Amino acid sequence: MGAEMKRITIFTGHLGSGKTELAINFALSLKERGLPASIVDLDVVNPYFRTRLIKEKLEQLGLTVICPRGEWMRADLPALPPDILGVLEDPARYGVFDVGGDDVGATVLGRFGPLLPPDDYHLWLVVNACRPFTRSKDDIIKMLKSIEKACRLQVTGLVSNTNLGAATGWQTILEGHQVVQDAARLLNLPVVMVAARRDLVEKLRAHLPPGFPVFALNLFMQAPWQEM
Amino acid sequence: MAKVLMKGNEAIGEGAVRAGCRYFFGYPITPQSELPHYLAKRLPEVGGVYLQSESETAAINMVYGAAGAGARVMTSSSGPGISLMQEGISYLAGAELPCVIVNMIRGGPGLGNIAPAQSDYFQATRGGGHGDYRVIVLAPASVQEIIDLMRLAFDLADRYRNPVMVAGDGILGQMMEPVELGEEEDVQIPPRPWAATGRMGGEKKLINSLYIVPEELEQHNLKLARKYALIASKEQRWEEYRLDGARLVLVAFGTVARICKAVVDRCREEGLAVGLIRPITLWPYPQKAFEPLMGKVDSFLVVEMSLGQMVEDVRLAVNGRHPVHFYGRCGGMLPVAADVVQEVKKLYGGEGN
Repeated sequence: MGAEMKRITIFTGHLGSGKTELAINFALSLKERGLPASIVDLDVVNPYFRTRLIKEKLEQLGLTVICPRGEWMRADLPALPPDILGVLEDPARYGVFDVGGDDVGATVLGRFGPLLPPDDYHLWLVVNACRPFTRSKDDIIKMLKSIEKACRLQVTGLVSNTNLGAATGWQTILEGHQVVQDAARLLNLPVVMVAARRDLVEKLRAHLPPGFPVFALNLFMQAPWQEM
Repeated sequence: MAKVLMKGNEAIGEGAVRAGCRYFFGYPITPQSELPHYLAKRLPEVGGVYLQSESETAAINMVYGAAGAGARVMTSSSGPGISLMQEGISYLAGAELPCVIVNMIRGGPGLGNIAPAQSDYFQATRGGGHGDYRVIVLAPASVQEIIDLMRLAFDLADRYRNPVMVAGDGILGQMMEPVELGEEEDVQIPPRPWAATGRMGGEKKLINSLYIVPEELEQHNLKLARKYALIASKEQRWEEYRLDGARLVLVAFGTVARICKAVVDRCREEGLAVGLIRPITLWPYPQKAFEPLMGKVDSFLVVEMSLGQMVEDVRLAVNGRHPVHFYGRCGGMLPVAADVVQEVKKLYGGEGN
């Protein structure tokens, strides 16, 4: 990790850019450092592949999972549990926010803007340059602006997360990373890390400038035919 | 980059645009809302019209209007919304209007839930609306196949002047897979001399499904029946998977077929001769897929995300010549591959098979 540690880390971005996998892995990395980490599922957009579906598994791994309670967890309602405030207000806790996709998903974040600890949060835009509306630097900038407008907050960094799901090769990531870097330069924002499936990290490192932060991902969301 | 990572719902939208569809009327409902969301962005880019209607009833009637005026047009919804559209679908079939209707099926009946299901099979293939009519139904099983089948859906709709339904489930709509989109073609929409675009000095063109005189409606019904028979003879589509020497054949469509492929692979590893038929057209049902297997297999096992709907079509195709068994999950639950393997083992080589 290249970026300085902050108490709250928020992952936002285009629908399907990989925010959930990143947020889960990032929260687990905080936990591994011995920090009291909570993951907050703010996703009211995507009804299927979201953090809350593996709540129990994450809790077993030592994370606090904050999402709508009981049966409301399975609904497509914009329900937000009150314990989100606990993460924002308690200076001893570390929070990782998994925000819903696009400007629509980011709207929810706006409600918490005034409660974010000043200067103690990251708001990162996750970019997968293989996704339909973020394939070029211009499209990435457009996406960022629409999200910033919706949540009324400024993005503080980009996460390079280009992938084609199971078909991802290190070349895929590298090609996408170029596009993300071009966008970041125009935005005058840092690319805080490149994320890659764990088995691709080594290959990828060899093609990046020495010391460039690469974040290894263990994937949690699975298609039903991948489970035997 | 050549490949794009897309959600099934987005691929339906992109596939429609690439098939020359320029008009979408619909109303959001989980788990297909990414589709209208996508088209709201994409259609204006290509000079098309995206309109969120006030209800599904309105949407399907806008489809009727646009199709009557000769447009390539689409709507989409999930269970409850598709139920609301049934009256309009019957009218579209009666007036022989080409259009595409997408149903990303969720748990029912009633409000049910937003989880994946296949329990709208009866509604799709038997017609939830009134009257003697048929709707062509396509069931993709991957995001790539969605792109290909959307083109086919619009082409079949035009070829037969008939509504075509694309039936998926929530998982197919929500999951992401890499797709090869290829070059965008300049789609030539076939001429529609029947469209109500003005008389231009010629004959009056009327889009209607009203035949007050019984003799005339009977003739219209018989004409439709001849069309349906032609579709049934020419448009059956299916995929065969590891059928060589299979003794037990699984039958499943869409997402469940993906799960069943994993089941077949596992069974084959364990030395069980198991294969799969995956219907791609749900109507016309691919009866032709079953004929070559008659007398060569022991039995069939139909797997569905319902309490047994397609199984009836398999029984019609097999017509008593082999036992047809059923395994299903419902309510938004998915069949688990390991459970299906257990079911196969229970039946495989057993008595009466």
